[in-house]
Amino acid sequence: MSMIDVNGVWKTYRNHPQLGIKERLVGKRVPVEEGRFARSWALRDISFQVDAGRSLGIVGHNGTGKSTLLSLILGTIKEDRGTIKRKGRIGAMLELGSGCHPDLTGRENIFLNGAILGLRIAEIKQKLDSIIAFSELGAAIDLPMRTYSSGMSARLSFSVLAHAHHDALLIDEILAVGDASFQTKCSAYFRDYTAQGGTLVVVSHSLQAIQDLCVDGLWLHEGKLVQQGPISNIVKNYLNSRDDVFT
Amino acid sequence: MLDGRYSQWAELIYLLVLKELKVRYKRSVLGFLWAIANPLMFALVYWVAFKFIMRVQMENYIVFILTGLFPWAWLSLSVTQGTGSFINNLSLVRRVTLPKLILPLSNVMQEMVHFVFAIPVVFFIIVITGESIHPLLLLWQIPLMLVLQTLFVFPLTVIGAVLNVYVRDVQYLVGILFSAFFFITPMVYPLSIVPENYQQYFKLNPAYWLIDSWRNVFSGNILPLAHLAWVLGSIAGFSLLAAWIYHRLASRIAELV
Repeated sequence: MSMIDVNGVWKTYRNHPQLGIKERLVGKRVPVEEGRFARSWALRDISFQVDAGRSLGIVGHNGTGKSTLLSLILGTIKEDRGTIKRKGRIGAMLELGSGCHPDLTGRENIFLNGAILGLRIAEIKQKLDSIIAFSELGAAIDLPMRTYSSGMSARLSFSVLAHAHHDALLIDEILAVGDASFQTKCSAYFRDYTAQGGTLVVVSHSLQAIQDLCVDGLWLHEGKLVQQGPISNIVKNYLNSRDDVFT
Repeated sequence: MLDGRYSQWAELIYLLVLKELKVRYKRSVLGFLWAIANPLMFALVYWVAFKFIMRVQMENYIVFILTGLFPWAWLSLSVTQGTGSFINNLSLVRRVTLPKLILPLSNVMQEMVHFVFAIPVVFFIIVITGESIHPLLLLWQIPLMLVLQTLFVFPLTVIGAVLNVYVRDVQYLVGILFSAFFFITPMVYPLSIVPENYQQYFKLNPAYWLIDSWRNVFSGNILPLAHLAWVLGSIAGFSLLAAWIYHRLASRIAELV
């Protein structure tokens, strides 16, 4: 059963928000730029499925549309063409510290973050000890989050995410900031998660981590899907191609 | 039965408002006391300014001015700050699936909380200036007005927040508009000092009816029908406009913030 079904999806960049009233009044357009990061299509004709219990790793260069693809799957932005079908509840960790406030303590942020992820306050209270234990933050849990290192923030966010019930998880890079022991913990969690039928989509530049976490792979290049298959093949081909891309 | 999602959203709004209040007062010595100290100091400043410096010839001017300024603060702060509620919460708009309207709504609720903290200050001033309080009327009219003003302010905040995503100049225009309306709306002066042939124009301003409703309520009157009609009519108008704008423009907010 496919949990995520992406079918012929295109996404453009248009409507440039940096234009103010003045530019609109005089009918100014954003100049057409050239270069590696400038193209009119963020994603072109992307199709793939992720079945329940599978884990998909997405590789590709910076600015190639990986994060855009995750946002589309999550549903915060809309595809221009094609369709995306989703089953169940999708959770995401796309950005460090999203849904947290630096002046609140870790404990307070667990509540805020948990509610944003759809947990009820009663549920959070009930799971609070378990969340704090999972994060291994110890006494730091009552310090304001601005005092946290990025690894500590990732620990906190991930612990909350791991205690919310999602049928699919989208993870963008974030876990790379954690230390070795935390990464091991995450991997173990994800193995359990997919074994129990959870679906996982991971974007990462750490090719080692992505091979540890994922079974399937998908390679994006300049908005196009180059290849999909077993993650080890994808990573191998991606590595071999790198020399050509920059010439 | 309410859908479980609504009570979940209510909890989320509660936590967002709590966050704002905590963040605002956390690093100050007085902490939450500021919520009440702030309106009280504000009242004192105005009292001194108008009683002893400007010497306005109006009976119990301090009560008059506070019953207007506190609801106004709720209105204007909600809309001016709420206009930034999408662009200032980029990570919540873009990185998590959340009903977006929760953001401007939590802005409105947060200012409502500040207003509610100011209500005892108003009563305190009413009592020490020797006027009377009518508890029974207040008991149902204040909650009614809280609901009406929330419904009045929320659509305006949504309009500002959505438009501001598309054209960032909106936040500055809203600021200027509200400083203009501070004077256009009979608030620090009574409508009666406006020349009579202009008064009809001043009465076209929905904010006047909202503020004057509060004045009536605080001074123990039953809310006049004309006021109620104007406020309800404005709510309907603003809501339709906000719904239309939101419906047309909301889908691209996440990629434009």
